[in-house]
Amino acid sequence: MTDLLVALLAVCAVWTGWRVFRVDSMVRATFSLMLSFVAVGAIGVLLSAPYIGVATVFMMAVEMMVMAIFMVMFMMNPAGLNPMSMVHQHRVSIGAGVLAFFGLAAAILVSRPPSNPVAPDADVVTELGLELLGPSMLIFETAGVTLLATMVGAVILSSRQGRFGSADEGSRPPGLTEGGDPAGQRPDGGGGGHHHHGGHG
Amino acid sequence: MIVLLALVVLGTLLVGTLFAAMLDRSHLSIVAFFARQRVETEAPDRLNRDLAPAWYLTLAGAGLSVVPFAPGLALIDSPVGIVIWGSCEALVIVTVFLHGWSPNAPFPLIGAYRYAAIGLPVMLPSMFVLIAAALPAESLSLIAIVESQREIWNVIRQPLGLPLFLIVALAMTLRGPMDYADAADIATGTSAEASGAGRALWQTARLAMLVSVSAIAATVFLGGPLGPLLPGPVWLWLKTAALMALIVLLGNRIARTTPSRMMWILWVVLLPLSFLHLLISGLVAL
Repeated sequence: MTDLLVALLAVCAVWTGWRVFRVDSMVRATFSLMLSFVAVGAIGVLLSAPYIGVATVFMMAVEMMVMAIFMVMFMMNPAGLNPMSMVHQHRVSIGAGVLAFFGLAAAILVSRPPSNPVAPDADVVTELGLELLGPSMLIFETAGVTLLATMVGAVILSSRQGRFGSADEGSRPPGLTEGGDPAGQRPDGGGGGHHHHGGHG
Repeated sequence: MIVLLALVVLGTLLVGTLFAAMLDRSHLSIVAFFARQRVETEAPDRLNRDLAPAWYLTLAGAGLSVVPFAPGLALIDSPVGIVIWGSCEALVIVTVFLHGWSPNAPFPLIGAYRYAAIGLPVMLPSMFVLIAAALPAESLSLIAIVESQREIWNVIRQPLGLPLFLIVALAMTLRGPMDYADAADIATGTSAEASGAGRALWQTARLAMLVSVSAIAATVFLGGPLGPLLPGPVWLWLKTAALMALIVLLGNRIARTTPSRMMWILWVVLLPLSFLHLLISGLVAL
């Protein structure tokens, strides 16, 4: 029964993972990826890792929500509703995909996975907590502080207001045509109408 | 026993939703939506539009399934029950976002992005409050959290917990001051283009989530099924009903501020407050 469920969830994870690259919108791709992780989290629960499994679902739901917002924001694709391709650099990615598939397949076929069933009465959550806040504390705290610093840095870099004034001061948006006039208003212009070309004859 | 517990969970959800509709005086409008025609928008994401109300209802059911109805007795007796509820909360944000994103229309989309921006920082106080409640129990299991309240309820031991969690509850049920998704100022936001049975189901799911979040609050802060004389489930139902009424009252009484000011309140006031709450609860639990 558990074997069957794990197999079904694995198929579900692979299928939703494949959908990430076949759908035509950032939001659909993001939440396909979330479903894939949810399936992996459920496999974790079935493999007697309840905390890691459920926390995966929780973390991925929040993370993918953040990702959907940021992807749409940085891709300049209004609301992620414009159809767009989710794949690029075809040759490199096909090569990397084939290499990774054969590498992992070879690793699975060659290695002998350990058979070490968890005792039914083992208190796995407590043991995980002791491990996280015991021998592995330095690793997790280092990773945590690094991630926090990255997040603070990303927010500061993307913030418009800064210590030395507005971040886009003096910047010019790219031209509508190659080497053409910048799109939209010129931020450094004095608001004068005499920069406009055409129209007034 | 599992069948009985499943029936109790479903019955609680059903009767609780009816009670919530009564508190909200929204039963007539929900019934009326069934008779209305469906609205079609241009190029919607049909899968997510049709599934979002069902997801919301499912998450309400999943959240209620970890609640112990008698000491030591829950449908899903998980050692990480409170993390399961946390996952339900996080998935509610995704569901509301998809509900607003899928019709491909301006007002629902504004509601979706507004809610995602407000909902994500609401997750942080929620997690700190729930972790604080797990400290005296020394367990993430809701059954153990109920047991830890035999002497004194968490609402007294951790005074900031319930007020902070009520804000989370208002956000989870898209209600009053935390209703940035379906508010009237953007023409009912994520529901603006919804009509017919889908809209009725969405409204029902909001009420069902009110039952679920109140039951969790009753379990975590009010001792859940603990109480004298009456049997456990009756105590849980009474506490849940009282909290539902309180949440509806707060939702009706407190005004909603602008999203930008709410962002400030969430990050600058409520987040440090929840840190403080965690610190106090940790010191008390030591």
